[in-house]
Amino acid sequence: MNPIDPRIHQVLDGEIPREALPQDLRRVVERLESAAALLAAAPEGRSVAERVLAVLRRPARSPVRRLAQWLTAPHPVTLRIRPVWSLALAATLVLLMLLPEERSVPVLGEHEGIAQFVARFPGAHSVQVVGSFNDWRTGTIPLEDRDGDGVWRAVVVLPAGAHEYMFVVDDERWVPDYSANRFVEDDFGRENSVLIVRPVKG
Amino acid sequence: MDVREGPSDAEVVARVLGGDREAFGLIVRRYESGLLRFATRVLGGRDAAADAVAESLVRAYRHLASCRDPTRLRTWLYRIVANRCKSHLARRATGDVSLDDVPPIADPADNEAALERVQQLAVVEQALAMLSPEKREAFVLKHVEGMSYQEMAAVTGERIPTLKMRVHRAREALLKVLEERT
Repeated sequence: MNPIDPRIHQVLDGEIPREALPQDLRRVVERLESAAALLAAAPEGRSVAERVLAVLRRPARSPVRRLAQWLTAPHPVTLRIRPVWSLALAATLVLLMLLPEERSVPVLGEHEGIAQFVARFPGAHSVQVVGSFNDWRTGTIPLEDRDGDGVWRAVVVLPAGAHEYMFVVDDERWVPDYSANRFVEDDFGRENSVLIVRPVKG
Repeated sequence: MDVREGPSDAEVVARVLGGDREAFGLIVRRYESGLLRFATRVLGGRDAAADAVAESLVRAYRHLASCRDPTRLRTWLYRIVANRCKSHLARRATGDVSLDDVPPIADPADNEAALERVQQLAVVEQALAMLSPEKREAFVLKHVEGMSYQEMAAVTGERIPTLKMRVHRAREALLKVLEERT
């Protein structure tokens, strides 16, 4: 590759005026500009607007249907639970059993498990968890910090399997759970945390 | 009607997040032209580009609440499409683009000037296709989409000196091919 006169780059990057170039270099600039103009002017193809809006108008699949699809679709599932989490799960179950009956105790389906979210956000006014299990919508799973020590918690029932999630702090900051064992990069250049929910009755 | 007229991006985003799903159509129509052009140039094919843009816009709708600065919606959308294009290219054996499904842009029965324009475009497209995906993306964002290096950094997640280097190398490679073929 032959490097071109650096002044050509400077003109194309808006660092010096075109008039600063001798005639022969101006022609090189014009050649590159006309090539780019050809690419910009070519028609870009059919609109995708209707296709996109048709997907958005489609009613959301129910959790039962999504669970059924997850169960029937072939895919490898690896469950790796640390002993400490098993103990935490057992402790959570015992706690739930000891709760007074009038409290709303979730009834676990055959392929559901309990997920506990714990995060430390001192000074936060609200913390929520959003993820693949609630279509990344805020306002559905708030965490609580009852004693004001900055540690926020929520225990929820989720379909068994792998779920991507993040915390939303004060309705504006999206933060991954840095204590998660796995992370995946999403299309927005961020890392989502990954949670594996094990079926309690599995 | 010019889709850039009307409510600002921030206003439209607020409407969508407030439950007005149809308002997202305004965002789609406002940006799909540029997004399709960008994806077509990066992927080298209109069908693949349409798939990438449609998938990206659906994802954008579903994650709209995570768009931290709706006044920069344009670069946020380009970032999603750029990442989608990278995924599409990664699924191919190489990052080379295919020009097979790019139809001619003018009817050969049109006048001579239009025909010459088609031929010139074909040469430029072939030269672009010979660039690495990173250089192709940088050149298209800079010179076809008219972005500043700062906007390009927001789209690609790369540092400005890196992007400048890619654009410079892309210009040099393009110029070399254009000089050889014309």
